[in-house]
Amino acid sequence: MSNLAIDAVKAATYDAIVIGSGISGGWAAKEFTGKGLRTLVLERGRDVKHVTDYPTTMMQPWEFEHRNQLPRAVREANPIISKCYAFYEGTTQFFVKDNEHPYVQEKPFDWIRGYQVGGKSLLWARQTQRWSEFDFEGPARDGFAVDWPIRYADMAPWYSYVEKFAGISGNKDGLDTLPDGEFLPPHEWNCVESHFQKQVAARYKDRHVIMGRCAHITKPQPIHLQQGRAQCQHRTICERGCPYGGYFSSNASTLPWAARTGKMTLRPNAVVHSIIYDEKKGKATGVRVIDADTKQMTEYYARIIFVNAAALNTNLILLNSTSNRFPNGLGNDNGLLGKYVAFHNYRAGISAEYDGFLESTTDGRRPNSPYIPRFRNVYKQETGFLRGYAAGFSAGRMSRTNQEGLGASLKENLVNPTLGGWYVGSHMMGETIPKESNYVALDSGLKDPFGIPQLKISIAYDDNDDQMVKDYQEQMTEMFTAAGFKNIRVRDDKRNPGLDIHEMGGVRMGRDPKTSLLNKWNQLHACKNVFVTDGACMTSTSTQNPSLTYMALTARAVDYAVKEMKKANL
Amino acid sequence: MAMAAAGLVSLPAWANGWTRATVQTGKPLLPAVAEALLAEVAETILPATETPGAKALGVHQFIQKIVTDCLEPSAQQTLSKGLTAVESLAQQTYGKAFAAGDAGQRMDVLKTMEQSADADQKAFFGMVKGLTIRGYLTSEYVMTNLTHFEFAPGRYHGCVPVKQKPISAKE
Repeated sequence: MSNLAIDAVKAATYDAIVIGSGISGGWAAKEFTGKGLRTLVLERGRDVKHVTDYPTTMMQPWEFEHRNQLPRAVREANPIISKCYAFYEGTTQFFVKDNEHPYVQEKPFDWIRGYQVGGKSLLWARQTQRWSEFDFEGPARDGFAVDWPIRYADMAPWYSYVEKFAGISGNKDGLDTLPDGEFLPPHEWNCVESHFQKQVAARYKDRHVIMGRCAHITKPQPIHLQQGRAQCQHRTICERGCPYGGYFSSNASTLPWAARTGKMTLRPNAVVHSIIYDEKKGKATGVRVIDADTKQMTEYYARIIFVNAAALNTNLILLNSTSNRFPNGLGNDNGLLGKYVAFHNYRAGISAEYDGFLESTTDGRRPNSPYIPRFRNVYKQETGFLRGYAAGFSAGRMSRTNQEGLGASLKENLVNPTLGGWYVGSHMMGETIPKESNYVALDSGLKDPFGIPQLKISIAYDDNDDQMVKDYQEQMTEMFTAAGFKNIRVRDDKRNPGLDIHEMGGVRMGRDPKTSLLNKWNQLHACKNVFVTDGACMTSTSTQNPSLTYMALTARAVDYAVKEMKKANL
Repeated sequence: MAMAAAGLVSLPAWANGWTRATVQTGKPLLPAVAEALLAEVAETILPATETPGAKALGVHQFIQKIVTDCLEPSAQQTLSKGLTAVESLAQQTYGKAFAAGDAGQRMDVLKTMEQSADADQKAFFGMVKGLTIRGYLTSEYVMTNLTHFEFAPGRYHGCVPVKQKPISAKE
């Protein structure tokens, strides 16, 4: 090799490469740079800088051209993302448009993506419940998927570690189904929510209603102020990006922290094509990157590669990383890469009304709501279906406006609404069972605009999910009835998988290289310097919103990777 | 709607904020005469009293914007046909242009449309009244001065006594 070429390789060489800058990639960047490693963070989307690239964050409701209604042309061009609750006039800039990155729906799948620095950490619902021992031991106890190679004790210190930095609000409830964490003060309950909590506690020993734990700074600690973040202002327009850093995002927290070390190189518009495997060295040496603007291919090199591209895109990159040694995708000796994908079942909900507490109301807004941890099949199998569901729950006072008539009286009535009774509502978050038949694969013919094979997605509900929907509706109806709620209505919106935005798996962790892709350190069994710590690594899904677990797994895996590197094992 | 591509520099057009002037930059849905009439219809629904009415708050421009950009294309027909009907009903009822009638006469025209056997007239009335109410309640004047919208409340209290005075009353 000429000196010039050697210099070029040197310039493109880092200690670590992190693919993706979302919730887990941001953590990998922070941890690697914090340990002194020169780290390249590759993001396929554009740059989004904290505050300055949140164009709608300070806009008042009347400043939106369509007062936050989606224009018809946007809806018609984007039938998939238009189904997402967080996609509205103020947030369209943070969603991947339907035609931008095509995929093949072998079965209907609403794939919601955020290609930008920060990824979906700008858009997430910010619920951060820990997993418990019941969740990690689930597959082994109930005989599905494979045994998790880790238990709660492995994760507990790492949950604490990420919670302190991210800023998690919550109450110490002392539940073995949902372990307590490092909490900032919890949000307040309203009268009807407290009433429901007491009624449920009085009637059911094993059912609890708690305040959700969420990634909002309710009382800033020095570590948050050092990040330049401030107390949450209860605007509840989080998806537009928060100028206070009141909720956790890569943009507000981990990425600026990593940048401050001087060790991070952040490269937006860098679409990763594949990971380079060196057969002589027996490990990965770098990544091939397509510049989103010029379509030029470049290579970058590092000793350690973390894949944090978001669950399904991580699968895509590994499947597309073929070599003589790995003709079916990197690390895919057992043919299981892309298989056993699962998600959360959000189909069912319930709503009702309550006519008590009419002398009380709420004041202000709350970016959070109460939460009902899983109570089905926890200590023993008690239903015809496996596993169970958690649920969100909330209540609020209805407002009634008299819109009769015309003229001055109508005008007067409009600005003087009267308070109605209370509405109450809940939605389910069901665990789905990973199955070989729920999979993603590369399409054999279709390519995306970068010439990369399109991802073929084949994921569906099964009978276990249907039974769970029915049980949620029955149990919640019973609990609502016991609490004296009236006019109870249950629903099953039969939404497509994907709209939960909790897709997981395909590169699962496990103890045995024959039946899993990753070991207990999120390291590919067959290619030790490649780690996967986003949703793709999940062996099972449990019921909790998964992001907190990705953060903890990432920090834990980086710690291990750097120790291994220092021992010259990587 | 012309969505700005995910560019590094250029913000989507609407990110620069909406003013009554920018609303009119695109091709107008209605000719000037019809737009003036729509303003009078909205003003009849929510007239100026001691506070500004729909017309002064530009609600008719908001209505056109939503009808043009957000609703099904048939809504544009409903709007323009309905305005024609407003004018001819005014001529039939009180022999003058709608705008020339007094408040009572103008309200009678709209009430006739509300109760009309003609489905198009009914649909026009329902759509325009609904959008007038929405445009009014989401206007800067009303949210700032009358309903006291808080952009960043900084608090949530779960159980507070119900206030007896109406929300539009001054603190």
